[in-house]
Amino acid sequence: MKHGAGGKWYLNARNYSNDLAKEMNMEQYLTDQWRMFETVFIRKIMGTSSIGLGYKLKMPIIGRVIRWNAEKMIHSEAKNRNPLRADGHFGQVLPLEDAKLVFSELAAEPIIENYCMCRAMQRGIKEVCCFNFGVLSGVIEKLPRFIPKNTKLRLDREEAIARLEEHNKNGKVATVWFQPVPYINAICSCETPQCGGLRLRTDFGLKSVYKAEYAIRVDPDKCQGCRECIGMCQFGALKFSPTLNRVWVDPKKCFGCGLCRHACNFDALQLAPREEFPGLKGLY
Amino acid sequence: MGKTKITIDYSKCGDGVGIDPRDCGKCLQVCDPAVFLRHETLSVPQDPIDPQTWRITAVWLDLCNHCMKCVETCPQGAITVS
Repeated sequence: MKHGAGGKWYLNARNYSNDLAKEMNMEQYLTDQWRMFETVFIRKIMGTSSIGLGYKLKMPIIGRVIRWNAEKMIHSEAKNRNPLRADGHFGQVLPLEDAKLVFSELAAEPIIENYCMCRAMQRGIKEVCCFNFGVLSGVIEKLPRFIPKNTKLRLDREEAIARLEEHNKNGKVATVWFQPVPYINAICSCETPQCGGLRLRTDFGLKSVYKAEYAIRVDPDKCQGCRECIGMCQFGALKFSPTLNRVWVDPKKCFGCGLCRHACNFDALQLAPREEFPGLKGLY
Repeated sequence: MGKTKITIDYSKCGDGVGIDPRDCGKCLQVCDPAVFLRHETLSVPQDPIDPQTWRITAVWLDLCNHCMKCVETCPQGAITVS
């Protein structure tokens, strides 16, 4: 693969490089961010916190201002970004194949697998399924609450791929993250509603996570109507039609994670590039 | 229906008195829409690397279904939903 050739930002090797991290002074920034990450939703940001965010977004005029400000913050590329607000921290869903490519060719070492912060803070459950790399690994290794007790912290590329595949087949969506843009240092195994990033997207429509560069297609001839795939979809994109005795997809709801494929025993589900769906043009 | 209010009595849970939400966390797990957030308490001075004082805040209030499972489950009776 030629570095930086693709349209996919997560296939650009420069975004993973230690040089970029150094240039951006990432060690200090990420230390400030990760030390207090759990408080990001209760902190006042421009006079308002995320408490009751759904109500705030529904307020006339003010709600639109809050939404505009939140989007600006999530995608900020400003010089004076604030780590405590997680400025410029957004990601994209990616299928297992692309996530494997990131681990095998792009992620900067060391690669670590630590406790998922989102599950710990929103479910009180410590689950080892969050991969970080490059400078961020060194930052997290200094914070005791993220260090797993019974699994290996540092992984080599093959180990990371094997673990990610396990999580993916188990029903967790792979996502890749800028933290902050344009530095890429994490692949998560996410689950709604206890994922902080997916929550903002699926419940409030904020573009904290973009849909994948793909969407799913059902082959009506191969689908046997067993409905196994429906339980894998976290986005409500798959429906069963009793009349047709098969599954159909709402492409506008599909995030292109490809998890449903793991449940299909009949090879009826295939990911296709998003641009092949005329109705999905520009919808990420 | 008006706006949901969820209050947690921090004299019963969190902030270093009552029970430590890091040991309990029952409300976090019983809530289907995951309305609650567990975070370090900001109002007390803490070790920035390894904070030891934590509390629960109900953040995603508009997503609450009023199922009252948190109120029933909380061993300290610390949660009220209205």
